[in-house]
Amino acid sequence: MTVTYDVELIAVTKQFGEVVAVDHVDLAVECGTFLTLLGPSGCGKTTTLRMIGGFEHPDSGEILIRGRPMGRTPPYRRPTSMVFQNYALFPHLTIAENIAYGLRERRVDRTTIQRRVREMLELVALQGFDNRYPRQLSGGQQQRVALARSLVIEPAVLLLDEPLGALDLKLRRQMQLELKRLQSQVGITFIYVTHDQEEALTMSDQIAVMNHGRIEQIGTPEELYERPRTRFVADFLGAANVLPAIVRAADATSACLEVAGRPVTIQRPGLRPGQEIALVLRPHWVIPQPAHEQAQWQGRIVERVYKGSTISYRVQLDEAISIIVEVPTGINHCVYETGALVSLTIEPSRLHVVTE
Amino acid sequence: MLQQQSSVARRIALPSLPAGFWFVVPAMFILVFYLVLPVLLVATYSFYTTDPVTGLIRPDFSWANYERIIVSPIYRRVFLRSLEIAGLSTLIALVLAYPVGYTLGAVVPRQRQPLLLLLIIIPFWTSYIVRTYGWIGFLQTGGFLDSLVSWVIPGRIEFGLLYTRAAVIIGFVHVFLPLMILPIYAATRSLDPRLLEASADLGAPPWRTFWRITLPLTLPGVLAGTTLFFIAVFGSFVTPQLLGGTGDLMVGNLIADQFGEAFNWPFGAALAVTITAVVVLGLLIFFRFANVERLYG
Repeated sequence: MTVTYDVELIAVTKQFGEVVAVDHVDLAVECGTFLTLLGPSGCGKTTTLRMIGGFEHPDSGEILIRGRPMGRTPPYRRPTSMVFQNYALFPHLTIAENIAYGLRERRVDRTTIQRRVREMLELVALQGFDNRYPRQLSGGQQQRVALARSLVIEPAVLLLDEPLGALDLKLRRQMQLELKRLQSQVGITFIYVTHDQEEALTMSDQIAVMNHGRIEQIGTPEELYERPRTRFVADFLGAANVLPAIVRAADATSACLEVAGRPVTIQRPGLRPGQEIALVLRPHWVIPQPAHEQAQWQGRIVERVYKGSTISYRVQLDEAISIIVEVPTGINHCVYETGALVSLTIEPSRLHVVTE
Repeated sequence: MLQQQSSVARRIALPSLPAGFWFVVPAMFILVFYLVLPVLLVATYSFYTTDPVTGLIRPDFSWANYERIIVSPIYRRVFLRSLEIAGLSTLIALVLAYPVGYTLGAVVPRQRQPLLLLLIIIPFWTSYIVRTYGWIGFLQTGGFLDSLVSWVIPGRIEFGLLYTRAAVIIGFVHVFLPLMILPIYAATRSLDPRLLEASADLGAPPWRTFWRITLPLTLPGVLAGTTLFFIAVFGSFVTPQLLGGTGDLMVGNLIADQFGEAFNWPFGAALAVTITAVVVLGLLIFFRFANVERLYG
């Protein structure tokens, strides 16, 4: 039997008192995948990670690592390793001793330890820091030591609990790319927890969006961004316009909708006439143009925010409905002032049906 | 104009005292009058002599008292015995106090800690002598301990612990235990639980985590507790007097006797100075050896 999944969760549930932190989560992580658990605080992503690491145990359900059921196996007998949010480096040990910690527990001989520590310091570009103490290092450097300390024991799965949370934005962006590079270099499965959608999109092969202890949707960054299944996923991954719509007519492959009083036909099976649905439209999928008579989508700009690389406009379509439109700066014909009347070009294939 | 200048000068001159100077003045006053001066006084007395006939103290400058301490084997023996009793008591107290301090600081939820801490401190507010007397009734032949054991195991069992070294050590451990618990509690309280998780995560079973992470990181508390406890025990004289036999007297008893019954203040002073010097020197070497600065980081 070949094991193709490093980590499998089967109907895993965890409760803290009255609160259900993780609710019947099923998940299978293929070997060598960079999977991100994304969600707001309290969505159960950290609890899920801690259960994989063995710091918490599920109330029901089963966790398998490399095909082996974990049951209540303690962390020190699991082939996982965790990079903690605050790094949790041992303050009384040097950088070299920190990295060697897990190897010494595995009774690896002294010369091998020295060689492995040197290799890891090289991998995370911290040569010459052997004899420093954690407090003498910057946040980014401590972060890399924590990574080295976990990777040196060659775990089947590396668990990362918001490891970039304490770093400033610039360093965070740099570390995101570095982590991605490191992951493809060492080739082991990474499970990464974050609430930062940009971070998730940048690094992941797969993203699992979590909400209220459940996985709302799992897929590649493209799938999740372009074809979100629920309103929550659409909202959480980047800005989204969510427009209410009513199905006026439908056949096997397409449906005729009414959106903000305007008829729109989309290619989508399985809709029933009279059904109320929601449509997701990303702000930069809409192109504003100077108003002209025969335009179907027309509205007045009621708000304008200059963001540097983009300008975003809020366009009022009718009394109740407005949408956000985002255009790159530097394209002169797309620059409008508040109060201007604009026509919007909306490709019907870009309108994406989501459930609440 | 001139006046203005001088007032400016005065305003500048005042802050030239070290920052916070006025805050430490009361403490300094107490230290000078109740510690430095008495110690100097004792040191001065240690060079005086006592008239063997009249027993009167003569201001003098003589090394005779110190000679007597060095030459006579009895003082060395009592000193070594005190070291042994204090050392053994400290060791037992450490073994008892560490689990208590650890549980209190690292296991009990924060909001419940103050109450339990209070329970540990309350006995400290009771008189030391009363608590020591309590042990007499407990340990004496036919006392509470003997009746308790005879009640559980039929037959007449007598431990006869009172007036033995064991009784002295029991008394010391009981009376001074909070001195050991509190610093250990403080150290375990600031222990980051994620470090213990990280250790387990890297493959260390609980006892290895204790050995490699918990103990080293709480060592400053252990050292502080050990030092406080040892010093307190080493200088006491009430416990050995009440619970020990004649063979369990400690340096504190020797000194107390010289100031009391023997009324030989100069010799008592010389004993006190010698003991203080030895203990201070020992602690200096101990702390240098333990490399406390590295531990505190």
